[in-house]
Amino acid sequence: MMGLPLAFTEPLLLIGLVSLPVLWWLLRVMPPRPRRIEFPPTRLLFDIAPREETPSRTPWWLTALRLLAAALVIFAAAGPIWNPQTGLAGSKAPLMIMFDDGWSAASHWDVRIRAADELIANADNDRRAIALVPLSEPNRDITLMPAGAARVALRQLAPKPYSIDRVDTLAAVDRFLKATGDCEIAWLSDGVDTGRGEEFVAGLGKTIGERSLTIFEGGTSSPLALVAAENAAARMTVKVLRTDSGIAVGTVRALDQKASPIGEARFSFGPQDKETDAAFDLPVELRNDINRLEISGERSAGAVQLLDKRWRRRAIGIVSGSTSETAQPLLAPTFYLTRALAPFADVRLADKGSPQQGITQFLDQKLPMIILADVGTIAPELRERINAWIDQGGVLVRFAGPRLAQAEDDLVPVKLRKGGRTLGGSLTWEKPQHLATFAADGPFAGVAVPKDVTVSRQVLAEPDAVLATRSWASLEDGTPLVTGEHRGKGLVSLFHVSADMRWSDLPMSGTFVEMLRRVVDMSGYTSKPGAGIAGEATTETVAPLHILDGFGAFGPPPATAKPLPADYRDRATSDHPPGFYGPAEGPLAVNTLASADRIAALNTASLRARHATYTNAEPRDLRGWLLSTALALFLIDALIVAVLGGGIAALLRRRAAPAMIVLGLLLTSLAPTPSRADGATDDFAMKATAQTRLAYVVTGNADVDSIVKAGMNGLTLFLAQRTALEAGDPVGIDPARDELAFFPLIYWPIVPGARKPPQDAINKIDAYMKQGGTVLFDTRDAIEAPPGANGAAQTPAMQTLREILSSLDVPELEPVPREHVLTKTFYLLRDFPGRFVTGQTWVETLPRDEDEDSAQRPARGGDGVSPIIITSNDLAGAWAVRPDGQAMLPVTGGDTRQREFAYRAGANIVMYTLTGNYKADQVHAPALIERLGQ
Amino acid sequence: MAAENGHTAKEVLAIRRADGESRTLAASLPRLVLEARRIAANVIHGLHGRRRAGSGENFWQYRRFVSGEPSQNVDWRRSARDDHLYVRELEWEASHTVWIWPDRSPSMAFASKTARESKLERTLIVAFALAELLVSGGERVGIPGLMAPTASRSVIDKMAQAMLHDDADRLSLPPSFVPAALAETIVLSDFWSPISEIRTTLAGLSGSGAHGTLVQVVDPAEESFPYSGRVEFVEPEGFGVITAGRAESWAQDYTTRLALHRDQIRAETKKLDWLFTTHATDRSAAELLLFLHAGMQVSKSGARTTTIKAGPAA
Repeated sequence: MMGLPLAFTEPLLLIGLVSLPVLWWLLRVMPPRPRRIEFPPTRLLFDIAPREETPSRTPWWLTALRLLAAALVIFAAAGPIWNPQTGLAGSKAPLMIMFDDGWSAASHWDVRIRAADELIANADNDRRAIALVPLSEPNRDITLMPAGAARVALRQLAPKPYSIDRVDTLAAVDRFLKATGDCEIAWLSDGVDTGRGEEFVAGLGKTIGERSLTIFEGGTSSPLALVAAENAAARMTVKVLRTDSGIAVGTVRALDQKASPIGEARFSFGPQDKETDAAFDLPVELRNDINRLEISGERSAGAVQLLDKRWRRRAIGIVSGSTSETAQPLLAPTFYLTRALAPFADVRLADKGSPQQGITQFLDQKLPMIILADVGTIAPELRERINAWIDQGGVLVRFAGPRLAQAEDDLVPVKLRKGGRTLGGSLTWEKPQHLATFAADGPFAGVAVPKDVTVSRQVLAEPDAVLATRSWASLEDGTPLVTGEHRGKGLVSLFHVSADMRWSDLPMSGTFVEMLRRVVDMSGYTSKPGAGIAGEATTETVAPLHILDGFGAFGPPPATAKPLPADYRDRATSDHPPGFYGPAEGPLAVNTLASADRIAALNTASLRARHATYTNAEPRDLRGWLLSTALALFLIDALIVAVLGGGIAALLRRRAAPAMIVLGLLLTSLAPTPSRADGATDDFAMKATAQTRLAYVVTGNADVDSIVKAGMNGLTLFLAQRTALEAGDPVGIDPARDELAFFPLIYWPIVPGARKPPQDAINKIDAYMKQGGTVLFDTRDAIEAPPGANGAAQTPAMQTLREILSSLDVPELEPVPREHVLTKTFYLLRDFPGRFVTGQTWVETLPRDEDEDSAQRPARGGDGVSPIIITSNDLAGAWAVRPDGQAMLPVTGGDTRQREFAYRAGANIVMYTLTGNYKADQVHAPALIERLGQ
Repeated sequence: MAAENGHTAKEVLAIRRADGESRTLAASLPRLVLEARRIAANVIHGLHGRRRAGSGENFWQYRRFVSGEPSQNVDWRRSARDDHLYVRELEWEASHTVWIWPDRSPSMAFASKTARESKLERTLIVAFALAELLVSGGERVGIPGLMAPTASRSVIDKMAQAMLHDDADRLSLPPSFVPAALAETIVLSDFWSPISEIRTTLAGLSGSGAHGTLVQVVDPAEESFPYSGRVEFVEPEGFGVITAGRAESWAQDYTTRLALHRDQIRAETKKLDWLFTTHATDRSAAELLLFLHAGMQVSKSGARTTTIKAGPAA
């Protein structure tokens, strides 16, 4: 419809839109419903002559809103559908669907299947026969089938994990077309040319002739592929390929053998790039564990790169002929070799024992490379084994030394003269030589020649015809420094100096590292074609182990997968699908794409065809959206009417300010508010320390908290009236969160069954009590205590208190003794009543003085203040006053007197916490004054 | 019935809240009490013993002579019995009944959005506080048709109890009864009844020559008429409904009509030499209480010359 992918199931209902003007008129004249207000002087209003009642008109925009909602309902009734199915124009000829099903089609497989499904459905409507041609199967017979069978066949298709060769199918297509005659052709292409694409396009053009062809392509992003994974010295790199500028960035994931992720690397394409690199900066141990690289979110075999042992770092065995390793490790050749090789290879040192044993051990381990540092004579049998190993691809690197100079064997690339050559010594007129050149065809080509490396001793090669070709590096006088020779699949190389510092300072230079790296690169298990595989016989074949399916998931090998030779390097084919082959401990990886493969966009411009794009979207019924939008509009309308009913003027006058405040609050709350917590803590501390304040624990029980707050207010007021303490407003605290150290006294009402505070809070309370604070626990239940000697200890609140105290370090307690300083700090008291009088008040036991004199003292106080006071008389309840000054709760006894004494008890407790044992000392005052008088 | 129940609940709530607030108000106005005592001590003799020294016939107590008193006050017979001088005091006898009528009709429950409390609550607060003050000053207080005059110290509780257990219709104006000639009547109501009803009630109340005060307690919204838009006004006592298309355009007329209504009431009260004042609930309750006391003082001293007005409507 008008270029939009929109269609209606019941277009006739759209005629209903004509009724909108009528609706407009109706809505214009309907007045809003009045607000109903109870108004006592209404009888006065009766006397006011009614004014002309013009029906207040609905504002035009409100009417427009309603009309829009009505129009939406009408549209919804007409059944609009977004992305209606589009099909090929209805001819009656059979339909042939060619279907790309290589790995490159896997990434948007469901889109392709849906497109094919749609084609089949449309053909079914027109009663046309269908031929389904998956382009990966050149040998499949193409037959016409009814739509049902075609659907089943379509469901059975799965993307192949390898690159398909479309050309091979052309012959079958040709046969089919000749047999069928008139036919309509649809090609569901994946748009990727994995080679021979042009050939296919040309061949297809020839084959179909005048028949109508529709090519589906585009509408989906380009498939991505991974090739050429490389475990370089510092990092693992892999190339990411694409055909067009679709996806620009993404991530490559590295997984180990158990499919757990090891690392991720981001890649990004330049605007026109067709390939880019992703690099994993991981330690070599982790990189060696990488078993599989894949592009996140890309489900295709091409986006998976499997790695086998060829991508592992090589293990190199080092055998030293010298014996000084343990005595002077810095002089041992193995030290320099190990340090030089460590960045890019796994170095293994021979176990203790003779060099021969070390070599045997490494040969048994089938290491790809062995370094012999100044190993002299080698037993003939062992020499045979080494030679065989080299033939199969082993790399032997030898370093010269005193022992090698005296020995004679054939495991060197060139024939050596016996004895070493000393340069710059007292008996020679020659100076230490510098490195001159690296052979251009040798492995060291391109390495910068260092100027500072000098060689003072070397072993000399017999000059012969082949010496020049085998010489990889030479000194200024032309004598070779490094020689090497390929033998079989392997390599023998000799450094004509020792691996330690005695003969030259080469082992200390950076060039040494580079040279060794080049040599190691030549050893087995490289991904470069042509290099040998160490330890494997050429004729050996390996059976498939795990095979990738088209989506890049591992599965058991299909019946069609054939074993392949162990040195198989090529890309995967239908016979050899990608996956792991061979033994589970050292499988061979076969990838969908070889490292040199590139993908390109398929150019179909030369074909005379209709082009269609895959539609990503399914047909979508818009009724739900339209109806809910209409509903939302009606809701808005209702809101507006509610607001308008009150009169816009009233709204503006009365609500503008609050509305602005609310809006401002919303905005500020959206804005980030940094370090609010710190500010709150500081505020709390400043508030708590600016004035002496009583504190109480907020229990979370709203009734109790409000009473306690009122009680503390009442006590504060009382203290201000009767004593010199003019405390600030009491503070409710949460022992788990707030700092307690600011408060001399914390009143803690116990709510029966309350949860024990968290351990953090308990620790803080413990510290608070230890540092001189006093906690006044009030179980507030003296009146509920069952009668009996131990009754008070059995109330639920007391049980809760015991629960709390069980983790606190509470001193021994006693009922307040008559002479306790608490009874004398401000008022002289006998007991401490609250709302109840029967409860006992407990404090820390005073130290018992044996002293006769002190026992008679009228007042005793300990050294400090009792950290804990326990009562059950509900002190706060007695102190609580309402805002209007009236007492909040009744007390059990005579009203005024008991309440007064409750206040006095509170004053005494507060004074006790503030002044400590000051009053106890006061009993000495008469004696002191008497003494002063004398 | 539901509406009636709703009103009852509102009234109970208002009584509870007024109970506390009125005590606070009364307690916070010790001056008033003193004033009341002074006033009462000056004026009226009556039948009721006031259990305190004053002018009366019965012996009350001997007290020590205080220096500065007129010497004829000394009771020489008593003083001769020991070394001190004594004054013979008689029990003060005074009787003055004040009838307070708090209007508890549904229209009083009205509170506009900005008002802190409803008219009913304000009325009850003032009534309770006044009663407390009067009783502590020695007067007797009653509610017409509901509570007989009492001088009990717990007059607030008594009034509250009487109201809570009152199952009669809530009338706007006091039922017709005739107070004693010396009684004082205070009617706290919104006086939205037609002027004819008010006139009839006034005539009844003042029939015996009793004096009184009418206090019109109104919500601020009832004075300023802050409505706009299309509004349907409902009379809460079921006297009808009127719809205003544009309420804002009615404000002017309403104000004029309100002023007329008040003028009519004022004219009626002036004829009888009663007091009339208006009190809006956004003003302090203490203001009204002060005014009422002042008014009673004037009325008792018989020196009233003009109508004293207080409150915002003045």
